[in-house]
Amino acid sequence: MSDLSPRHPLESAPDRAAVRQQMGRRRKAMIGAFVLLLLIAGGAATVAGLRNATLFFRNADEAIAERVELGDRRFRLQGRVVPSSVALDSGVTTFEVIHNCASVSVRHSVDPPDLFESPWIPVVLEGRWVRGDVVTVGGRDTHFFSSDNMLVKHTNEYVAANADRIADPDEPPEGFLDDCPFEVPRL
Amino acid sequence: MTGSLATRVLGAVALAAVAVMAILALWISPADEVQGDAVRLMYVHVPSIWVAYGSFVLTAFASARVLWRTRSGAGGSQGVIADRQARHWDRVAGAAAELGVIFTALTLMTGSLWGKVTWGAYWQWDARLTTSVLLFVTYLGYLALRRLPAESRSRARRSAVMALIAVVNLPIVHFSVDWWRTLHQEASLELGPGGARNYTGEMYWTLLYSWATFTMVALWIGIHRYRVLRLEELAEEAALEELLAARRAEYENAGPRSTEQESNERAEQVTSR
Repeated sequence: MSDLSPRHPLESAPDRAAVRQQMGRRRKAMIGAFVLLLLIAGGAATVAGLRNATLFFRNADEAIAERVELGDRRFRLQGRVVPSSVALDSGVTTFEVIHNCASVSVRHSVDPPDLFESPWIPVVLEGRWVRGDVVTVGGRDTHFFSSDNMLVKHTNEYVAANADRIADPDEPPEGFLDDCPFEVPRL
Repeated sequence: MTGSLATRVLGAVALAAVAVMAILALWISPADEVQGDAVRLMYVHVPSIWVAYGSFVLTAFASARVLWRTRSGAGGSQGVIADRQARHWDRVAGAAAELGVIFTALTLMTGSLWGKVTWGAYWQWDARLTTSVLLFVTYLGYLALRRLPAESRSRARRSAVMALIAVVNLPIVHFSVDWWRTLHQEASLELGPGGARNYTGEMYWTLLYSWATFTMVALWIGIHRYRVLRLEELAEEAALEELLAARRAEYENAGPRSTEQESNERAEQVTSR
């Protein structure tokens, strides 16, 4: 068998150190670039995401409780749409949302998504508090929520559509209004 | 070239299963009361992420095996066996991670379409979506790391460590809907007694069937991918053998050259790089 050992002792090669140094430098540069790219991508996603992610929305009752702190700052509000409250007035959709028996009057300035028409659908609205006297199912209020972005937050329940089912579209989800001290008007 | 009787049968069964799944998902399974036909996206979206989860868990398991088999100390025939097993598990990890990335991408795409129909937006940075995209990017990074030039053992070990770090995000993705407020809905199906099962009959069974189908498809692709990785290794080994043979021939024909000649050649090689 042929001798496969190096043709001369590597130690005696004058360029060995330079070769090793250059290869090591290139590998380090590639690894460094890769790690940097990964950090930038991961960091950008994390920062962009987690800034909003942990408190994606405030429920209607929390938004009312934190009204002073929120001031005119933009935030997301979540609640179920009261079917009998929906009205369209010169391009502005007005309605009320309820969560934990707290009701908020909403003025929404952009076309809502299609699923908004589903009765008692939960929605997440982006906007801010605006001063103005309003009357909601829960009583009088000094502010309404001015919204320009709506997301429909569908539930994790899937029910087969059934044309024969006799359902009252006005009927709130089971237990949703049980503890509320007010009556919600029917359509 | 990577096919065998078993994989051909598996491929045919998987293909037939996909056809049946399409019929179940598009015609047999009912529309949802609220979402209408958009709910049919669920039969791709949900099984995709389940398969991706499974793939990433397999990557982590295989990576642990790689680290175990490449720990120092084994020598002689034991070392050869350990090296062979490490290479096997490294290929498993690589093939599974590629599957996971593909199915995560499919999840993100179908989720985005589903989101547009139901939420009214293709994308929102809520906790579920953010951690999911982070999962995707992390495993893309893992695959990139596997492609970096390095000696096979250290490349395998380096990749294995990253796979074990990356898998930490998996439970965060899954439980993000419970831990934080998200636009994405909570889990509709939970394993174990008392777990949620918020589907009516046909939807539930179609979903389980879709999951089985996706698993079969993933298995079929994964086996082929594993074999391709093995073939790549064999090709590399053959190329090395060829180089060695050429070197032998050169040595036998010309005899050993002077140190000066040799260092000049090396310098030329380095410059040409």
